[in-house]
Amino acid sequence: MSALAKTRYFWRSAAVGLKHSPFVHFIAVTTIAIALFAAGLARGGARVLDNLLASLGGEVEVTVYLSPELGQDEAHGVRGRVEALSRGQVSLVPPDAAMARLRAELGELGEALAELPENPLPATLELRVPPDQRTPEALQALARQLRALPGVTGVDYGEAAVERLTAIARALRFGALVAFAVVLSATVVIVAATLQLAIYSRREEIEIQKLVGATDRFVKAPFLLEGLLQGLLGAGVALLGLWAFGRLVGPTLGSLFAFLLGPGVGAPWVEPRLALELVGAGCGLGLGGSFVAVGRFLRV
Amino acid sequence: MIQFFHVYKAYPGDPPVLSDINLSVEKGEFVFLTGPSGAGKTTLLKLIFCAEKATKGQILVGGRNIARIRESAVPYLRRNIGVVFQDFKLLPHRTVEDNVSFTLDVLGVPRAQARDKVHRMLKLVGLEHKADSFPLRLSGGEQQRVVIARALVNDPTILLADEPTGNLDPALTVEIMDLLTQVNVRGTTVVVATHDATLLSRYQKRTVRLERGQIVSDEDGVKAARRMVV
Repeated sequence: MSALAKTRYFWRSAAVGLKHSPFVHFIAVTTIAIALFAAGLARGGARVLDNLLASLGGEVEVTVYLSPELGQDEAHGVRGRVEALSRGQVSLVPPDAAMARLRAELGELGEALAELPENPLPATLELRVPPDQRTPEALQALARQLRALPGVTGVDYGEAAVERLTAIARALRFGALVAFAVVLSATVVIVAATLQLAIYSRREEIEIQKLVGATDRFVKAPFLLEGLLQGLLGAGVALLGLWAFGRLVGPTLGSLFAFLLGPGVGAPWVEPRLALELVGAGCGLGLGGSFVAVGRFLRV
Repeated sequence: MIQFFHVYKAYPGDPPVLSDINLSVEKGEFVFLTGPSGAGKTTLLKLIFCAEKATKGQILVGGRNIARIRESAVPYLRRNIGVVFQDFKLLPHRTVEDNVSFTLDVLGVPRAQARDKVHRMLKLVGLEHKADSFPLRLSGGEQQRVVIARALVNDPTILLADEPTGNLDPALTVEIMDLLTQVNVRGTTVVVATHDATLLSRYQKRTVRLERGQIVSDEDGVKAARRMVV
C-alpha cells in the first residue's frame, strides 16, 4: 500500500467533490466567511473597547496624603519611594499649591479661605498608575503598600469607579464570548447541513467504496479535506472582507470617534495574529462541519 | 473456503429470512444459489461479505469466523471478496477505467501499477477498447463486464454475484456466465445467486436451492441439471 498514492487520491477526490457540487460548497464557504467576518469585527470591537477602558482608566488617579509634619525633603523622599513602588508618574502637590487649586475651583467662594488661620491642607502625591496596574485587585494591593509607607496618612483611588468599570468590561467580554460561541455552533450546523447535501449526492460512491473494502477513515478523508479547503477559503474571504472594511470604513470611524475611543481606533483591522486565529477557526469550522456530516453516511 | 453452521437471520417483527443454514463451499468451487424471489439468496450473500450480520450461528470465510468480526476488520475481509450486483452499481460520471481502478484506489495501489492491472482486467473481460467510455454509453452486458472487472481487479479469492444476468438478454447472459466460469477456472471461488433455471441446466454446477429461508436441496451439477429437465 502506498501512503503517497492514497494522499494523492484524497486530494483528487476532494477536488472532484468541490467541482461536483459547486453551489453547495459556495454556500458553506459563504457561511464560514460571514461567521469569521463577524468574529473579526467583534475582535476589532473588543480592541476598541480595551482602548476605551484604558483611556478611562487613565483618568483614575491615586492620591497619597502626606503627614503635615513632613518637611520638603522628606516629602520628596516619599515621592521617590511611591514612584519606585508603582512604576507610575508621581507629582508632589505642596499644601500651598493645593490651597491655590482649591481656591481656583471654588471661584468667588474661594475668598473665604483667606479667613482661615492656617492652611489645613496636607501635601499630597498624585500618581498616574501604569495600564497593567489599573485592575481593582492591583490598585487595592498598591494602596495597601502605599499606606504602609512612613509619612503617608491616607490613600484614595476612586475604588468604586474602577470596580464598576472593570465589571462592565468583564460583562461585555463574556457576552461577546457567548455570542461568538453561539455563532460558531450555528455555523458548524449550517456547514454540516450543506455538506450533507454534497455527500448525499455521492452516497453511491461511498457505498461502493465500503463494499470494495474502504475503511471509514479512507471514506472520510476526502470529505474532511473538502471541509478544510472550505474553511481556508471562508477564512480567506473573511480576511479580505475585514481588510476592505478597515480600508473603507476604518478611517471614517477613526475620525468620528477618536475623541471617545482614543488613538487605537485607527489601528489596522487585520493583524497577523487575528489572521492566524481566523484561519485556524475556519479550518476548525470546515473540519467540524464535514466530520458531523460524513458520519451518518458510513453505515453500509 | 465458506462455511455456514446453523445460521439464522431474522429482522425484528418478521419471520426469519434464513433458518438453520448449513453450507460448505470449497476453495475454487463454483456454486449456484437458486430459489424463488424472497427465498433468502441475497441475504445469504450479504452475510458472506458482512453487509448483514447473522442473528445466530457461525460463518467461516477463509477460516475466519465473521459472525464475531469487529466492525473495523470488515473492510479487510471485503478486500478478499469481489461482489457483482444485478444493478451494476457503477459510477456514471467516471470512466470505465476509473470505475475499475476504484478498488485499487481504496487499496492505495500506485497509479501506474493500477493502470496496468486495470488494462489487464479490461482485456480479460473484453472491454479494453472502452476504457475511456462512460458506463451509461455501454450496453447492459458491457456494464456487467465492467462490474466483474472491478470485482476481480484486486485478485479476490471469492467472487459473489447476485443475479448477475438478471437485467440481460439471453445472449449477454451467456457472455457473462462464460466470463464467470473462466474466472472460476483461474482458481477463484464463485458463488452465483440466480433464479434462472436455464443457467443451471446449461452450466451444470453444484446447485444449492433455498426456499423460504431454508436449504431444501444441495446437488452436484449433473443431478441438478437432470432435475431441471424433468
